[in-house]
Amino acid sequence: MGKISAPRNNREFVEACVKSGDAVRIKQEVDWDNEAGAIVRRCCELGEAAPFMESIKDYPGFSYFGAPLSTYRRMAIALGMDPASTLPQIGAEYLKRTNSEPIAPVIVDRRDAPCKENILLGDDVDLCKLPVPLVHDGDGGRYVGTWHGVITKHPVRGDVNWGMYRQMMWDGRTMSGAVFPFSDLGKTLTDYYLPRGEGCPFATAIGLSPLAAMAACAPSPIPEPELCGMLSGEAVRLVKCETNDLEVPADAEIIIEGMILPDYKVEEGPFGEYTGYRTSPRDFRVTFRVDAITYRNNATMTISNMGVPQDEGQLLRSFSLGLELEKLLKSQGIPVTGVYMHPRSTHHMMIVGVKPTYAGIAMQIAQLAFGSKLGPWFHMVMVVDDQTDIFNWDEVYHAFCTRCNPERGIHVFKNTTGTALYPHATPHDRKYSIGSQVLFDCLWPVDWDKTNDVPTLVSFKNVYPKNIQEKVLNSWADYGFRGAKK
Amino acid sequence: MANKWEVFVMDLAELAEGKELELTIRTLNDGLHKYTYQRAKVEVSSKLDQFADSLQVRLGRGQLSDRKFSIRVIERVERLPERYR
Repeated sequence: MGKISAPRNNREFVEACVKSGDAVRIKQEVDWDNEAGAIVRRCCELGEAAPFMESIKDYPGFSYFGAPLSTYRRMAIALGMDPASTLPQIGAEYLKRTNSEPIAPVIVDRRDAPCKENILLGDDVDLCKLPVPLVHDGDGGRYVGTWHGVITKHPVRGDVNWGMYRQMMWDGRTMSGAVFPFSDLGKTLTDYYLPRGEGCPFATAIGLSPLAAMAACAPSPIPEPELCGMLSGEAVRLVKCETNDLEVPADAEIIIEGMILPDYKVEEGPFGEYTGYRTSPRDFRVTFRVDAITYRNNATMTISNMGVPQDEGQLLRSFSLGLELEKLLKSQGIPVTGVYMHPRSTHHMMIVGVKPTYAGIAMQIAQLAFGSKLGPWFHMVMVVDDQTDIFNWDEVYHAFCTRCNPERGIHVFKNTTGTALYPHATPHDRKYSIGSQVLFDCLWPVDWDKTNDVPTLVSFKNVYPKNIQEKVLNSWADYGFRGAKK
Repeated sequence: MANKWEVFVMDLAELAEGKELELTIRTLNDGLHKYTYQRAKVEVSSKLDQFADSLQVRLGRGQLSDRKFSIRVIERVERLPERYR
């Protein structure tokens, strides 16, 4: 693999985005109380440049970087690619890098760790010293973690997990967060810490390098520090925490250390989420007690403002869920031609292209998809044939509306795993992460006669001889039509 | 100076008047600690001049209620076990 020149930290990423016109510097003072959130939200809805807010009311020296990865252009920049790269090109690069050899992180001395430039311990610890924004009016609180990594470690297996679990500031020393029971951290808590009544050490890293954030967001089986190394082509620099044995990205802007309490919970939520709704009820949730805060000089807090499309939660999660499912299906020998999740589905619909070479292939795909670790994050799988462009919604929608038999093509899976965030789920199902899922089989049945039973697609590309197509295309302007030939 | 508070409830009936309640309330006073929570024993009244402090109410999904209250914070309740303080 050739040398990768991806931004190594959030500051290099901001600079690269400003240089390419994919971020704007906002010099005027911005209020952390709703105004910053409103700016980021509008940028997401307009597909605008990312706002780098250099002056925050009440918090001199701090800055915000909003909507860091809510466009494919910024995703390409994060990977060190041309911002104009297409989605299939970005996806191919992701697959190439994540199929390479894992790159182990390196531990650096704390003197070489910018995240240690300021250290708050003991009575100095107060989350209110950080510019924690009120992201949406009406949220249950100011959210510390919206684009970050919560770092934990399984005490027996040693698995390190960087996960993006939203975290709300409850008071100056306490955060609460949504940790689903099927998530890596949720399993670690229920498997080990909660039965023993032991606190679970954690560290929240904010202002990560964009590829570290991408790793934290990706549902990959590869441990996130190694995955980040594979994505960036070099070892991630880690440094030991001040108050526990966890290791955190040395170049992160802000680190919050502490303990997840096994027997004490405070309220969390509601919060505007990636589904485009405030769905999950306010409830007593996993509670994080803070023991230390460390941060860089002039630290930048990253903000994701989730809501209606499109934000980085939708974009990046769709991207990585699709590609991880593609890897899974190919590992099982299924002749998939591609997997794509449109971000505007708020990562709820998986579109799978496949060569329909045997009966039941769509069902096999759905069973693998829903039965995998990825499954709780989406509830619709649509399987189309290899002649349908999965990236072209017009083609996919046409296939769905015409080939999916209402009686034989729609298969509902009941009593599966869901999330508390599904807007369509009942309050009871949300509370207990009970899901239901559906397969839309848009393949022609393999036992239909291909000559006499399978309908012929009537399109310019499919029904006219090549020579006629070429003649019409070459004469298009001469006929008097405007527009380039296609 | 009067304080401004906010509470989240699923149902306005949770804010019974004429009795002591234990609620999780957050401060709306301007400053660095705005929106931080505390647990407290309180008394609320729909008569806005009954108590010095004001209470704003939000419902389950963050909707702002048009019902306003005055509130008296009787005492703070510390639920956090001693071993974690």
